[in-house]
Amino acid sequence: MLNILKLLLPALLPSWNFFDVIVASPRIQLSLLKSADDIAEDWHEFRPRPDKLSFTQMLLRLFWNPNWNDSLYLVSCAERLQEFPTRHSEDEILKRIVLDLKSASCTKNDSAVTHVQFRLVFIHREGSELVTETTYYSRVEPLNMEVNK
Amino acid sequence: MNFELAVRLTEVIMGLAFAQQSLEHIRVAVNGRLLFIARFVLAILLVIGLQSSLIIVLLLFIGFAMLHRFDGPYNGGADRMSLLILSCLACVHLAPDLYWKEIAFAYLAAQLMLSYFISGWVKLINAEWRNGRALCDVFEFSAYPVSESLRGLAASPRVLFVMSWIVILFELLFPLSIMSEATLLVALILAGGFHFANAFLFGLNRFFWIWIAAYPSILWFQQRIFDTISV
Repeated sequence: MLNILKLLLPALLPSWNFFDVIVASPRIQLSLLKSADDIAEDWHEFRPRPDKLSFTQMLLRLFWNPNWNDSLYLVSCAERLQEFPTRHSEDEILKRIVLDLKSASCTKNDSAVTHVQFRLVFIHREGSELVTETTYYSRVEPLNMEVNK
Repeated sequence: MNFELAVRLTEVIMGLAFAQQSLEHIRVAVNGRLLFIARFVLAILLVIGLQSSLIIVLLLFIGFAMLHRFDGPYNGGADRMSLLILSCLACVHLAPDLYWKEIAFAYLAAQLMLSYFISGWVKLINAEWRNGRALCDVFEFSAYPVSESLRGLAASPRVLFVMSWIVILFELLFPLSIMSEATLLVALILAGGFHFANAFLFGLNRFFWIWIAAYPSILWFQQRIFDTISV
């Protein structure tokens, strides 16, 4: 109950300081592993944004944008992991990675892939340069992780 | 706009926004799909206008459950505005008399005004916003642009400098629009355009719909304030 009140208070007394400073921005990268002891070397961005969207696609997203909103939630989870790591945020990201992999053809065709790990890469500005920094590695999770839709 | 109409309009627009959000959640839900099916049904009942008081209280409980489920807001400011509107409407329905009902609804109007003014103020006091660098960074490396091609806008610093100042000045001056119904209408149309641009460029569609749901409160508030003054 106390936790709910703590979460509700910012809604009842909002700070409204949207985009006051542009903080380091997270990218979630994943690596497919062939065993629990495999060392992750090959990292891919999770849910990369498309190169281009048409005017109509951008307009229609005003009414229907579930995947993008879910990806923005994962950005929040990544930021929470950076500030105060919790099992909840790590689970939320891992569950979505496993679900996406289960529906993707790459892992269906590659039965050797049994586990997955993600890492967080943060991009921020230092003077005129953009700097990337890897700040977090998740636990290694088997792909048969239980995820209920 | 009279009080009853403003409250009812807020309920209808918020109900539609919740229905849209719930359908999106049902599409991507990882655990807890039932929660959003229930939220969708309640949102439709709110739009229809059946047992509004009970429905709003139930929606508020679902809001608490969502906070627990996602360990905080799912969609940042949009979820916070959703809970703020719900809480104010719950107070409107449960308050013992018209005085307290109006206080609760006026609080929503005041927070809507602050949502623009404070956003403008925190940008004004930040040198990165004043020189346009912050908006360049939003396009260049933040998680928000919906496509890689939009990152190219970071290469137009003069355009983004002008855009930054348009946003800062609009947000700061928004409270002055309450001086007349006509200026408030113009400001709300511009504000709607601002949220539309954010939805279009950054995919923040939920902000667009839920902020519009709070607009009837400020339209009523403006009229209420100036009616009181003229009396």
